Amino acid sequence: MTPGVTVWRCTACGSLFFPRRLLCATCHSPDFAEAQAVAARIEEITEIRHVLGQTHWAPRRLANVRTADGLAFTVGLLDGSQEGEEIALFQDGTAPFGRRLKESAA
Amino acid sequence: MGQGLEAAIVAVGQSRYVRRPEPGETTHTFIRDAILAALADAGMAASEIDGLAVTSFSLAPDVAIDLAWRLGLSLRWLHQDTNGGSSAMNMLGHAARGVHCGAARNILVVAGDATGLAGYAKIAANYNRATSDHLAPLGHGGPNGVYSLVTTRQMKAYGLEKSDYGHMAIAQRDWAAKNPFAVYRDPLTMDAYLAAPMVADPLTRYDCVPVVAGAQAIILTRPDAARGPHAPVHIRAVRNSFNFDNQRGDGLRTGISTFADDLWEAAGFGPDAIDVASIYDDYPAMVLAQLLDLGMIPDGDLGRFAREAIGRDRRPINTWGGMMSAGQPGGPAGGLNGISEAVLQLQGRAGARQVAGARRAVATGYGMTLYRYGGTAAAALLERAS
Repeated sequence: MTPGVTVWRCTACGSLFFPRRLLCATCHSPDFAEAQAVAARIEEITEIRHVLGQTHWAPRRLANVRTADGLAFTVGLLDGSQEGEEIALFQDGTAPFGRRLKESAA
Repeated sequence: MGQGLEAAIVAVGQSRYVRRPEPGETTHTFIRDAILAALADAGMAASEIDGLAVTSFSLAPDVAIDLAWRLGLSLRWLHQDTNGGSSAMNMLGHAARGVHCGAARNILVVAGDATGLAGYAKIAANYNRATSDHLAPLGHGGPNGVYSLVTTRQMKAYGLEKSDYGHMAIAQRDWAAKNPFAVYRDPLTMDAYLAAPMVADPLTRYDCVPVVAGAQAIILTRPDAARGPHAPVHIRAVRNSFNFDNQRGDGLRTGISTFADDLWEAAGFGPDAIDVASIYDDYPAMVLAQLLDLGMIPDGDLGRFAREAIGRDRRPINTWGGMMSAGQPGGPAGGLNGISEAVLQLQGRAGARQVAGARRAVATGYGMTLYRYGGTAAAALLERAS
């Protein structure tokens, strides 16, 4: 798991995207530069307690988060962080995760 | 598309709906059964069908032409839709225009699925690239995970209580009790609703559609050529929206908000004229969102509408029980069930759940969860021939 989540910034107009797009939804430029989102604030949380067809499911917590730039996406929570808290972002492969900033620093 | 559209729905057909198919029952056999029922309903021979539209999550590797072949249908119009919960509405629009333009005389529109629970879970985890790359690795649990977050957002934005959604589940269960095809027909109480096991906070068991196997079919033809036993149901207007906000919003509005005014204007009547509404109910929150976008909650008070219009007054919404009680045979077929129910209501054939004097209906589709919420929405306004 690596710190930060890779997002994409349109080099023509500066719009941010996650997931990646083929053309910018604002100006339709095809040119993007990778950027790192390192922190975000939790807006909503859910706990996935039951999944169809799974008999031995360990509940997972997911959150809708928003970066200071206004980009919203869904992350898996690695701890008990709560709505309204700012969390540090991580990436495991293509999947975004987050945990409390303080615990991340420790 | 306006009132001059020369296309009408003349027949509906449905297979049985089951939680677990019997050995030998497949998506193909459920679709066949629905088609046979629709043909019988129309008093039409299969050889009279010259157009076919199909949607299914589980037809693969077959596609529409394979289905035509298996059904022995020789066609001059063929369409397959892949847009989930709005597929049925998309097919309705394409078929209506096909009939109107003379591309085909009699178009069969069919939707069905028999994924099984394991098959559905596989589809949910691989719904699109964004899901398989960015959501499934989190253990998002399919659309329940996505719409649990949307529901929480709606509750905060509109001050809704959990029980507000319960009114919808309970009302639809009451309607389902009068629908012999519904898989769940036992009465549901608010206590039982609130005590149901949590699936994905705040969604509990009765907020999540039960996966079933089954299929639906309808037949469209020119109204002046309709010779079956049932009154043709005119398609006054159909409108669609795809990717209206690029997933940059909050998911509390749908693409219906982009075309609702145009839809009503094209039909020549407004929300007050609607007698029956089939609103795509993948989740209660999205029913309220679509009703709001249609202009059917004029004061924007979603909670009051849920408590009073749905809970107290039993406004005729999803009178077949909706997918929440009748079952969802894949999102595509669920959408066609709402259209079929509207047709039955307008033809006065809805049995114990018949809404007296129903003349005009609205039906919607919503779906294709791109990432944070659905990316497609559609609606049709239907009217019984006078």
